[in-house]
Amino acid sequence: MTITTPAPITLPPSTHEFADIVHRLEAGGSMLPDTPENLMQIIGIYKAYAVPMDFYWRDLLYIAERVFLNPLPAFKYFLPKEYLDLHNHYAGDDADLRIWRGEATAHPELLEFMEKGEIRQKLPKLFHHLWHDRINMEFAEECMRAMMWHRGMGGQFDPYLDSDEYKANADRAIRAYFQGNPVMLGLYKLFPEMFLEQVRQMSYYANLGLFWEIMAPVFFEMSDLYDEGKMTTVPEAMNFLVNGIFAIAGRPIYHHVYIRGECYEIIPKSKGFMWLYEAALPYVEAVFYRTSPFRGTKSYNAQVRQVPDNQAEFHYGILYADVFPVGSAGIPPTLLMQDMLHFLPPYLVEYYKQHCRGEDDMLVQLGISFQRSMYNVTSAVIQALRTALLYPLDDPNPKHLMANRQFFESQLDRFKRPEARLRDIQRQNYR
Amino acid sequence: MADIVDIAVNADGFKTLVTAVQAANLVETLKSPGPFTVFAPNDAAFAKLPPGTIHTLVQNIPQLTRILTFHVVPGKWMKADLERVSSLTSIEGSPISINLSDGFEVKNATVLTADIEADNGVIHVLDRVILMG
Repeated sequence: MTITTPAPITLPPSTHEFADIVHRLEAGGSMLPDTPENLMQIIGIYKAYAVPMDFYWRDLLYIAERVFLNPLPAFKYFLPKEYLDLHNHYAGDDADLRIWRGEATAHPELLEFMEKGEIRQKLPKLFHHLWHDRINMEFAEECMRAMMWHRGMGGQFDPYLDSDEYKANADRAIRAYFQGNPVMLGLYKLFPEMFLEQVRQMSYYANLGLFWEIMAPVFFEMSDLYDEGKMTTVPEAMNFLVNGIFAIAGRPIYHHVYIRGECYEIIPKSKGFMWLYEAALPYVEAVFYRTSPFRGTKSYNAQVRQVPDNQAEFHYGILYADVFPVGSAGIPPTLLMQDMLHFLPPYLVEYYKQHCRGEDDMLVQLGISFQRSMYNVTSAVIQALRTALLYPLDDPNPKHLMANRQFFESQLDRFKRPEARLRDIQRQNYR
Repeated sequence: MADIVDIAVNADGFKTLVTAVQAANLVETLKSPGPFTVFAPNDAAFAKLPPGTIHTLVQNIPQLTRILTFHVVPGKWMKADLERVSSLTSIEGSPISINLSDGFEVKNATVLTADIEADNGVIHVLDRVILMG
């Protein structure tokens, strides 16, 4: 017996500037071409990113929940044991949903680095800190500030920060925190908005910490699957992220502060704020696409509109970054690259040694691998949004397929501007 | 006539929805006089969500409630009434687009059965869970 299956419905070819990439997305692929070299680079970088991220999320929550409005937070990067032992909700035996098969407490490579640093010597913590031989939390704070500065990127979290309910919750926490401190309470009376704005910033610390708490185990698990030979293509890596995005979409985003043993719910879990809408999507918009020009690295002429007057058109994120000139010490992307350099898997170190200037420009090479890896994460976000809001890739209705195409094309429109690196990451020799 | 909850409980194919509504403590609300229009995803619709999605939502009731209330609109909107509108505002607060130009579509879901009347409103059965955005 012959079984005839209907031919899959095909649309006429796209006429978009990035038609090849549109077709690849329509076939369930990523913006990043599916090559073993790309897969090796992005997985290696995910692993190198996940270790410092394991510190970032813990410290972001520590600052939001405990340091809070300390006017002289000199030790905010000195993570107490309690937060190093804090169980990640998505790793370990007692996980809400186990994404990584590893442990729930701080990663062993992170603990080793915190103890000995780059110089591989156990010295007092303060020495490592002042020598800057530590995890660069300044990068995490810059991402938080990007989210806070752009604001209004969808979701209910940001509008809530201006609500009377939020202001009342913040007021209670401010008064409790400065109880018995007439100077600070007097300043609060004089400049209430300034204090409130600081609390809003703390809420964004919590938001980003809760967001990254999930991304760290996701990246660790991807790295383990790759090492076990169970993740073999770029689309597989992307789909793992898509499934992860859905699996934890409903994770609550909240801001609790602990003052003298009492919990103050500045943003309670009962508000129903979700990881996907209130953290992940604003994060991608603020950090991958927008951010802000880096001070001191390049001159911009605002009068000829080199810096857009509309914040929504900002395009200084990793998807647009020219990794070489921004590779200066002290600015956020370089701080992250420095952090990732400490935790590269051996296969990636070997790979970088064989290209460009070997170890001398490893920060730039890994920065470009990071760019490739973030194009893959952005592809996962685009495919997840298509899954959530549009239609399956094999939908039998041509109108639905056309809606999917229009969605993909509109997303790729953002990479038409000359600064975008989408064209570059199609080539393997872009390093 | 039965109310919205009774209809869903007694019909085949709404096991997941009924469990979710019970977990979110929405039974009482959906038994109240309303009226409400409920866009009800069937079990197959919930099964289309990637693994883990429901697991996390059931652990977090306010977030589950938000997704469920996105499927409910105040008022009784029969299919014929919906021909006059292109969008409704859900109880969750986000808009739901309606398209009757080619079949009956609610956002990216297709209505499998329309106009199941209840004492306190109407149910339209969806082939997909709809999400805000």
